[in-house]
Amino acid sequence: MPEKMVSAQIDVFRHDSAAGGAPRYQRFTLELPPHTPVLTALLRIRAEQDPSLTLRYSCRSAICGSCAMQINSKSRLACQTPIGPEIAEHGRIVIEPMRNQGGVRDLVVDQTSFWEAYDRMRPHLITDPLRPMPEGRETSMTPAQVEQFRETPRCIACAACYSACPAVEADASFPGPMALAKLYRFVVDPRDQARQDRLLRIQTEGLWLCLRCHLCTEACPKDVRPSERIRDLKEMAIAAQGGTERGSRHAIGFKQNIRERGQLNEMKLVLQTDGILGAVGQAGQGFKIWRKKPEISKKPRRIEGIEEVERIYEELDPKPKGDR
Amino acid sequence: MGAGLAGQRAALAAVEARRDVAIISKLHPLRSHSGAAQGGINAAVGKEDSVDTHIYDTVKGSDYLGDQDAIEFFCREAGPTVVEMEHYGTIFSRAEDGSLARRPFGGQGFPRTIYAADRTGLALLQALWERLGTEHFTLYQEWDLTNIVVREGRVQGIVAFDRRTGQFEGIAAKSVIVATGPAGRIYGRTTNAHTCTGDGVAAAYDAGALLKDLEFVQFHPTALLESGILITEGARGEGGILKNVLGERFMGKYAPHVLDLASRDVVSRAIVTEVREGRGFPGDFVHLELMHLGKERIETRLQEICDFCRNFAGVDPVVSPIPIFPAQHYMMGGVGTNIRGETNIAGLYAAGEAACVSIHGANRLGGNSLLETLVFGKQAGLAAAAHAASASAPELNDSDVADAEAPVRRMMSRTDGEDPQAIRTAMQQTMDRYVGIYRTEADLLEGLRQIRAIQKRFEQVRVVDRSNVYNLNLTDALETGHMLELAEVIVVGAFARTESRGAHSRVDYPSRDDAHWMRHTLARKTPEGPNLTYAPVGYTRWEPKERVY
Repeated sequence: MPEKMVSAQIDVFRHDSAAGGAPRYQRFTLELPPHTPVLTALLRIRAEQDPSLTLRYSCRSAICGSCAMQINSKSRLACQTPIGPEIAEHGRIVIEPMRNQGGVRDLVVDQTSFWEAYDRMRPHLITDPLRPMPEGRETSMTPAQVEQFRETPRCIACAACYSACPAVEADASFPGPMALAKLYRFVVDPRDQARQDRLLRIQTEGLWLCLRCHLCTEACPKDVRPSERIRDLKEMAIAAQGGTERGSRHAIGFKQNIRERGQLNEMKLVLQTDGILGAVGQAGQGFKIWRKKPEISKKPRRIEGIEEVERIYEELDPKPKGDR
Repeated sequence: MGAGLAGQRAALAAVEARRDVAIISKLHPLRSHSGAAQGGINAAVGKEDSVDTHIYDTVKGSDYLGDQDAIEFFCREAGPTVVEMEHYGTIFSRAEDGSLARRPFGGQGFPRTIYAADRTGLALLQALWERLGTEHFTLYQEWDLTNIVVREGRVQGIVAFDRRTGQFEGIAAKSVIVATGPAGRIYGRTTNAHTCTGDGVAAAYDAGALLKDLEFVQFHPTALLESGILITEGARGEGGILKNVLGERFMGKYAPHVLDLASRDVVSRAIVTEVREGRGFPGDFVHLELMHLGKERIETRLQEICDFCRNFAGVDPVVSPIPIFPAQHYMMGGVGTNIRGETNIAGLYAAGEAACVSIHGANRLGGNSLLETLVFGKQAGLAAAAHAASASAPELNDSDVADAEAPVRRMMSRTDGEDPQAIRTAMQQTMDRYVGIYRTEADLLEGLRQIRAIQKRFEQVRVVDRSNVYNLNLTDALETGHMLELAEVIVVGAFARTESRGAHSRVDYPSRDDAHWMRHTLARKTPEGPNLTYAPVGYTRWEPKERVY
């Protein structure tokens, strides 16, 4: 049975960085079945209307990671996004290059910073010559140990997460979700001998810059869930090293505050995060807040029902490791 | 040239031999098509399995066109190769006892396919790139190859251009390794990525290399209907079954012993026969059923397949059958090499799907191609490194670059002429129609006539995009030219081979003819088209027998 066609209005970002000139949006109209992937539509445009339309693509089956782009303002793989729902929701399809990476031409971006962040994670097994791999046979690893990688082996390095990440946008030193998910993959690998060193280093190399917005997990076409793995890295870093960094001290203090009183003691949290000298440095900021919200200077009471909070803590974390 | 598994493994071997190595690829290495391989990698490593059985299965699978000496070497290297990749960091699926998990694959007497869920290629590609990343080499990323320069009977280097600038450059080299993968996009209906266009194989052919057995084209039995996206043989390895419109498990008629796990050529022909005889579903397809395996097994062992079916075919394999039909999948042929990756040109090597050793002969077994990329990638890298250690300095001149650039400038300056994509589509339609699973003399003659007419059209190809930055219109043109050369070699070889063997099925010559045709086709480029000669098959101890599954 022939499928009903939809009229797809596709507005594509066009720009050649070498040729200069202002970027523009070019409108293309095609008749296509609604399940057609955006990539197929763009290739139809190249074949039938404008062969100069430029994009990266290869496998068309969501395994090579080439065709990530902004589709109606979301970072997605063009090959895995059908046009029908996009048109139903937005009336048209706006195609733009990924964010957080400089433009080269049309939808092709410069991925240098993305790959450099990946390289900074030392993405390879680091082994100890004193503990060599078993001679002539595989390392033993149980299915339960393989489980520990979670979904990180599925990562196709498409950079959709990197494009969606507001922390990357705010601070170029943040490695981004993909690189951190890759780091997690090595930290949990029983063959890797640099777990402690990796956790120690990442604490000062951007781990705590993650905003926990989970936009990376939403953007990931392979369900790698980078934000959850970043959370795991934070927990492992605290468990291994305790509060060595502002980020980890903040997390520890936050958790303690809530456990003790059911609400934040913001003065104390500043002290816990930044120490006495750091807190003095933030006195001006504190004064400004105090003028608007004088109650922050009071020591907060234990909230009613604090026993319930305690029960939640016991339930989730019966033997606290990192915060004692 | 090429940064998939074969190219990377060759580079690693050459770097470890302390040579100055560059990798050139039109894709970032992690985007290579090796990453799309799903099912697994064969190695007879368990106590119950034996290397001899792996050898025998491969010889039989090849329909006795594989070189037995090469196959023996290949299968013996399998265990160490897989262990090495595990030590490099590959995350394989595991058995409860902590060893590497194995699944049964088609045409093999033992479950010896080691896997990483249904993304084994990706797992290997990641681990190898991570391992290679600890070494020093130069990466030319997103460069398009135009020529391999051969003078005085030996390689002098290559000419290529950087997509980012359009700048042509000569890269002098004592050794060049062709590891650019397949040319599946010669066909319209293919499991291959859009970038599988045989660039290195065509450049080697232009430079005088002999292409071996190109007429042997594997059609994978189970590809999604509309997109041609691959559904791994692992799906049948896990217990998936094929059914026709009558609900019959029809493989019983074609392969009574192993049913759905017969060799790929056998299963593909069975599906086409069912459809031709009216037992396909309306729209010409059959069903692959997984439902009986249960949700958990499907979603853990065949996770990517679930996503493919749900995203690209709108079916959920947990509750519905998957509509499938065969699609072009693999080229058994390629640049002819020996087991060291050496070609007929000094300094020129080939490995992986771009090469033909031959271990796959007339039909490749599932799980042998990933193994091939690693085993022979390493051999080619070692041989290339050894050659480079002793060869004198190569000579690449400005005129080599100018000669390579001139035809490109002509394409870009034409004011009329045809778009390369229209020409590519015409080629694909011809190959799908006339050079598919079942072949006849009349069809092949018509196919050849059409391919030559399309080559004529290509002489007037026009690149309308004049930009020097990431000019995909130009890439389209170069790739189409490469594929048209190889398409001609496929058709000419298929026309000449008047027998049926493995994936090459001549309706007019339905039997295998060992007396005349147990030999390799070698094609050399001449101005009149491919000149064919033949070479004997390497034989050790496996007497040709009728191939029954």
